Amino acid sequence: MDVLLQQLINALSLGGIYAMLALGLAIVFSIVRLINFAHGEIMTFGGYGIFLSMAFGLPPLAALTVGIGAALVMALSMERVAFRAMRGADVVSLLITSFAVSEILKVLFQNGISARPVPISFPSSWSGAYQIGGMTIGVAPTVSILVTLISLATLTLVLRRTATGMAMRAAAEDFEMLRMLGVKADRVVAVSFAISGLLAGVAAVIWTAQRGSVDPLMGFFPVLKAFIATVLGGLGSLGGAVQGGFVVGALEVLTQAFLPDSLAPYRDAIVLSAVIAVLLVRPDGLSPTKTGARS
Amino acid sequence: MTGQPLDTHPARLRIANALRTAACLAFLLIAVAVLVFGFGRTGERIAVLMCVNVAAVVSLMVFCGNTGIVSFGHGAFMMVGAYLSGILTMPAGLQRNALPDLPGWLAEHELSVLNALPFVALAGFAIALLTGGAIARLVGASATISTLGLLIIFHSIAVSAREFTRGSQTFYGVPRVTDLIFVLIAAVIFILIARAYRESRWGLFGRAARDDEDAATVLGIAPRRARLIAWVLSGAMATVAGALYGHILGAFSPASFYLGLVFSQVVMMIVGGMASVGGSVVGVIAVTLLLNTVRGLEGGATVLGITLPEVFGLTTIALGLAILLVIWLRPQGIVGGFELGPGADAPWLNRVRSKMTQAAAPATAGDTKLVAEGLSKNFAGVKAVDAVSFEAPTGQVTGLIGPNGAGKSTLVNLMTRQYDADQGAARIGEVDLTKLRPHGVIRQRVARSFQNIRLFRGLTAYENVLVAALAARHGHAEAHAITLRELAAFDLGDIAGMRAENLPYGARKRLEIARALAQDPSILLLDEPAAGMNPAETDDLADRLEAILRDRNIGILLIDHDLKFVNRLSDRVVVISRGQKIAEGTPEEVRADARVIEAYIGRGRGGRNRTLHPDGRGL
Repeated sequence: MDVLLQQLINALSLGGIYAMLALGLAIVFSIVRLINFAHGEIMTFGGYGIFLSMAFGLPPLAALTVGIGAALVMALSMERVAFRAMRGADVVSLLITSFAVSEILKVLFQNGISARPVPISFPSSWSGAYQIGGMTIGVAPTVSILVTLISLATLTLVLRRTATGMAMRAAAEDFEMLRMLGVKADRVVAVSFAISGLLAGVAAVIWTAQRGSVDPLMGFFPVLKAFIATVLGGLGSLGGAVQGGFVVGALEVLTQAFLPDSLAPYRDAIVLSAVIAVLLVRPDGLSPTKTGARS
Repeated sequence: MTGQPLDTHPARLRIANALRTAACLAFLLIAVAVLVFGFGRTGERIAVLMCVNVAAVVSLMVFCGNTGIVSFGHGAFMMVGAYLSGILTMPAGLQRNALPDLPGWLAEHELSVLNALPFVALAGFAIALLTGGAIARLVGASATISTLGLLIIFHSIAVSAREFTRGSQTFYGVPRVTDLIFVLIAAVIFILIARAYRESRWGLFGRAARDDEDAATVLGIAPRRARLIAWVLSGAMATVAGALYGHILGAFSPASFYLGLVFSQVVMMIVGGMASVGGSVVGVIAVTLLLNTVRGLEGGATVLGITLPEVFGLTTIALGLAILLVIWLRPQGIVGGFELGPGADAPWLNRVRSKMTQAAAPATAGDTKLVAEGLSKNFAGVKAVDAVSFEAPTGQVTGLIGPNGAGKSTLVNLMTRQYDADQGAARIGEVDLTKLRPHGVIRQRVARSFQNIRLFRGLTAYENVLVAALAARHGHAEAHAITLRELAAFDLGDIAGMRAENLPYGARKRLEIARALAQDPSILLLDEPAAGMNPAETDDLADRLEAILRDRNIGILLIDHDLKFVNRLSDRVVVISRGQKIAEGTPEEVRADARVIEAYIGRGRGGRNRTLHPDGRGL
């Protein structure tokens, strides 16, 4: 029972990170049809923001804020520099563009900062644990679950209750139509990148707080999982992305906990194969987006 | 374009295709010659790697170019090829040392590189068949991400399966291959295979499905099967290319086949032009030149008096910028969307005299009829089609008219399986079309055109019709003869060699009908064939359809808003409004029907003696 609950918390915490990354990917994809390979570098940049501001002596909480801000700035400049010129291009061109941006940024991180992981030391109380009813629960996973839930709830409110949020959801369904109604396209696109940057920044904070270091590939690997999560959820479906993120996170934690040792190294392979097996049954994902194409 | 008789098109196409293959080979040979004779030993080393890259990228293109799906998964195939070939060819002594836990059935074969390749190809074939079942179901971005998933899966397996791969440690002892002639021959063979596949039946089917999956399905092409075949061939080829790559490296690890390699090969393919074999070859050559120039600068260099700092990964940045520039400036790649070399309408093929005879009109369709029985379809509570029944026999034109939004196109979509019917049946003889798979409808000889033109835009007008004839299971020569017949019947001879996306509107409309007729249907469903045409074009189309009816005894179900056009051609007219059939009869009867008048021009002002004017306006 204890083990189960422990694993449940781990699954929620990891799944939450994937969910935020996947949601960031899905928001951008639904509006500009871009699968942003460079999303991981947004997260990495947020991590370096934390590292640098701590190196300059900022207190931890301020450093985390700087980190989130760095991710936001990175996302916005990426949109401005690389993707605005490409608006309306086909999915493949956009995908390859972002792939190139991602590769270039990785090399810049390696040369500009370090190819090796740089340490971030948070106060030791952050990595502590507390007891509830005889169970030991880590502080970091608890906080990360809380932060994830708050972020997702805030975003849901923004998307459902504000005019900008409404415009975003409308843009996700029919961007051209929205433009004809006079909504400024640049603004909607910029906001979508800003949201995805913020989410990646929050993910970077949680990730670095749990692992204590940043390296050029920090964001890349979780974002690979987030890609899988978006496809699993149904590309372009926001709810599906969150759902997919939690499913992939849960699968990963469960396989880690319960696979026999001889199979443990094959964990990633098993998780991904399971996802692909789901896609075989539901090629459009768990909650597919509706399209109204006429013939 | 002009002055080239249509009946020499098949011969011109054959010659053009051969020339295009020759152009790919010529580019490769020239690049190799320049490297070898211009740069000595270094040049030869670069040429060896370039040839292996040509093999790898051409393999990648066999899938990506013929399906439109960019794959990141081919690194997995290359990795399997490299490790398998390494294990099979490794000297036994070295192998006991490097891979002590290798299972006995794989150990100590000591094959030559050439003898190992068939096993490598077989393994690639098997893996591609296994994974293709999943990949071929997906299209677009989902498919691309799934191929990325495949790469991650295989990478993590390779890192974990230490007894076969030494895990993430370097895998060494693989016999080196540095013989330029050997890899050059391999590259030439890969180009020949890729060219042959691209112009083959399944290559055409794949490219048709790439351009428009629904239209391809209606022609009887199974898009998944087309993608699966491309994937399997491409995967087997990439596995062999990977084996060659492993043999020129001599020592490698799973990381050698991960995103870095995949990225550079995708860049090569896209920079050159993903849609063609020539594009892949040109892309590999261009990127090879670029990388080798940049590599010289990577360790820091002095250019024009300025000392550049050492930058690791400068090649990656160069690749990234190269692809960004190409995508911004020339999205179709250096070569463009067409294959490198002349098309069938190149002026210097004017002298080709070899003619092919048009196929005779098909034996008149036997007497049958398409019977709709209570077809119904709801969209979220709206009854788009509500229990509609009618008959469309051969030898007649049955008009299907109704106001906008009446459900006409939906009705056609139900009968040809673009939509699933909620209720009812559409029978040809004993067969219920609504129970068939979408690509099975044409086997009952029911063809259709689309309301908004759906041609295969990357294919020429000729190929658009040819692919339909091939999909109707005609032999190669016969398919060409049928293509000539239909292009002639719709006066499309002059533009046969043009890409469909460049055709004028009227020609596109006619081409779509020609494409449907190339399948020798007994029932043809035409969804607004005259929409957007001027009166002269509409009359011309009516003349051509009448000639077809006279010669072939097919049945046509004709939807159009131009009631003059419908009335001229139709023997009977069915009228639907708001999803329900409201009238049926001869054009005259229907014109006088009060309910039809009401549906078209409303109630109230109409007197009892009014009829609809033949061209559709109220009196």
